Amino acid sequence: MTPPPPADMREAAVELRGITKRFPGTLANDAVDLTVSRGEIHALMGENGAGKSTLMSVLYGMERPDAGTVHVDGREVTFSDPGDAMAAGLGMVHQSFKLFDSLTVAENVVYAAEPRRFGLVDRGAARRRVRELAEEHGLAVDPDALVGDLPVGLRQRVEILKLLHRGARTLILDEPTAVLTPAEADALFAVLKSLAAQGRTVILVTHKLREVLEGSDNVTVLRDGRVVARLVTAETSAADIAAAMTGRAVELDRVHASGTPGATVLDVTDLATDGVRGVQLAVRAGEIVGIAGVAGNGQSELVEALAGLRPVTAGRVALLGDDITHASATERRARGLAYVPEDRHAVGTAPAASVADNLAMGHHRTSLSSRGLLPPTAVRGHAQRLIERFGIKASSPEVPASSLSGGNLQKLLIGRELAHDAPLLLVEQPTRGVDIGAVQNIHDQLIAYRDAGHAVLLVSAELSEIRGLADRVLVMYEGRVTASYDKAEADERTLGLAMAGGPAPTEVRD
Amino acid sequence: MHRIKAVVASPVAFSVLAGVVIGALFLVGTGADPVAAYEAVITGSLGADGIGSTLTTLTSVLGLALALAVPLRAGLINLGGDGQLVLGGMAAAVTGLYSPLPAPLTVVLSLLAGMAAGAGYAALAAVCENRFGVPLLVSSLLLSYPAASFASYLARYPLKEPGSSLPQTRQLPDGVALATFGSSTVTVGLLLVVVAAAAYWFTDRRTAFGYEMRMTGLNARFSAYAGVERKGLTLRLMAVSGALAGLVGAIGVLSFPYRFLDGSLTASGYTWTGLTAALLAAASPVGTVLASFFFAVLQVGGLSMERTTEVPRELTQVLQAIVIVFLAARLRFPQWWFNRRKEAV
Repeated sequence: MTPPPPADMREAAVELRGITKRFPGTLANDAVDLTVSRGEIHALMGENGAGKSTLMSVLYGMERPDAGTVHVDGREVTFSDPGDAMAAGLGMVHQSFKLFDSLTVAENVVYAAEPRRFGLVDRGAARRRVRELAEEHGLAVDPDALVGDLPVGLRQRVEILKLLHRGARTLILDEPTAVLTPAEADALFAVLKSLAAQGRTVILVTHKLREVLEGSDNVTVLRDGRVVARLVTAETSAADIAAAMTGRAVELDRVHASGTPGATVLDVTDLATDGVRGVQLAVRAGEIVGIAGVAGNGQSELVEALAGLRPVTAGRVALLGDDITHASATERRARGLAYVPEDRHAVGTAPAASVADNLAMGHHRTSLSSRGLLPPTAVRGHAQRLIERFGIKASSPEVPASSLSGGNLQKLLIGRELAHDAPLLLVEQPTRGVDIGAVQNIHDQLIAYRDAGHAVLLVSAELSEIRGLADRVLVMYEGRVTASYDKAEADERTLGLAMAGGPAPTEVRD
Repeated sequence: MHRIKAVVASPVAFSVLAGVVIGALFLVGTGADPVAAYEAVITGSLGADGIGSTLTTLTSVLGLALALAVPLRAGLINLGGDGQLVLGGMAAAVTGLYSPLPAPLTVVLSLLAGMAAGAGYAALAAVCENRFGVPLLVSSLLLSYPAASFASYLARYPLKEPGSSLPQTRQLPDGVALATFGSSTVTVGLLLVVVAAAAYWFTDRRTAFGYEMRMTGLNARFSAYAGVERKGLTLRLMAVSGALAGLVGAIGVLSFPYRFLDGSLTASGYTWTGLTAALLAAASPVGTVLASFFFAVLQVGGLSMERTTEVPRELTQVLQAIVIVFLAARLRFPQWWFNRRKEAV
């Protein structure tokens, strides 16, 4: 399973030798070797907790290894912080972007490396610089747009432009496509390939198989802190990589059987809110309706409006026949709505609070309390039941939620919302940044929830997820629902075309 | 390395320790004996002669620390403690002077009037945020000044004690006063404040409202997502906060000198000491009590140190300042700490 590192003739851009990093209770990296050649796109794969991020933190100067050496461009280096790493030509795009929302694209790109004139920031030069870089690398983005107004896909471009502006020769991208659609991901890979062709090096930290197969040259797979496979992409398959990552054979891209729809649970007529117009949709009990679309086409706004977190400007929303168009989030929940939001850290949980407190949210006024009292024993017991039922890996209900891996935090969130047993579940990006094993578990939970007679509205940027789970697929484009397909019609090409705003083969129904 | 991490993990202990050590260096630098100075602080505040004074100070400091901790727990900062305190004191004084009820009932009514005045005034700051979008920090602080001026006006003109040269009201009638413990200056006000602390602990740990308050403080978007109504929460927490500040004002008026004397309630800066104590404890109920006690000891002990040694009491203010600076620095640690650890678990 573990062949020696490929004896590549090209110069090694980055070489990690025998990296060992121990955290209290965990051996995050155990004598890891990783060699990445100049001009290569190298995928570093592994499930959450396999040690990918720790390894990259060591490379990027955020962690000191307990043992092992780091070589960049053939020289041994010791980075004490990311600034040193950047000076050595490394650049990293983190999964959660490090951008100033209230500044413009140009200001973000040149931040800490501003072009100056008479000692002041030269804004004109900054804008020109961004335009040049954007044109040269096919990363179109308006230099004057506020970053806070951009969809996630474009923010990522800003991050990459930032690295290019600083002259990074080796780019590390942490889960870069977690937020992108296939078309956007393809565009990203085209950019990465052109960068590699110019002699830059790309390290992709990911657990998505499809793009690794299409976009990388070599793959290193980590499991439990050790390298378990070094593969040449052209000679391997998705199944091989998945087996190496999980240590067992896994079934990929399962398409679940259709449900048996019953009465209408959610009925939306002509809904409008910021960035959303004229949306018609209905979700029936025992049915999963999927909403596909490129990030930033109104899906998040639509779901927030349905959840009561964003005012509805026109139209009508009915839940189980009752008008809830202007009901508060609390009223909606009381009437039978549960919601798994897109952003688990900023919205779906309080990372600094304990696992038990996070699991209690929403249940704290209903099943767990009586006459306003919320006994700690009830909160703890509830947490233990959900931890067991949903297989959340937490050493105790008292540990902070921030100590859970991405997949476990998502299980916590989904478990908490499923436990409401609400007739309608809104789910956004249920498996973003979640490892393969957990993806299957989460999908099975959603299907079981549907089969128990609940209505589910699923928003996902993962086409395979939409196709695997949804009984009907709606496509959103520029704030409208532009197409609707039955499960059988919803193949990847058709959806991809509709998501790009292409001609819809079928008219919008219901 | 592990020891450093453990110390950083307990920033409160670290800050207090750093304050004490740096304070000792100051003392050595000025040629004083740090051991004698600290001994004077301890015996002066906790010895037989000082404990009464410490507990009296604690009544005010803890009351105001709780007043500021309650909203702070939900991430809200009430900077209008002074105004609420003074209005509470004035309301208690007016009630005490003009209530037709028997003295014991008048005392109770005065306390309630003080709490109501503080609560109403703090709620006004919350309404300014909820309805008009004025940040609470600004509305509470700015509303504080007219309240203090209004009370000052009352004490100087309509309610002024005839013939007195001081801006003060008449003394409250006989019996309209809080009972004291023995011959000390410690009143049952201390008990009221301790009961308030216990109620805060209970609400924080054992009630659904306290849960919502804590979660809002940890992540306001999270609690909004789950349907916690922020405006109502702000209003209620501010009302409780103002009620506590008003209670401290009422206790002040119902203790020696049993009248409203303009400026006397705010002269010691207990509102700011209370805010510091609440911040020091990150608004946790038990921590707020401990921090308040710590500051009461420093304030009373500092005076005693000045009397018995050559060291001026400003040293204790230096200690407070150092503790605050170290705590303010702590605010940068946690986020960074999480990010580094996340993948490891």
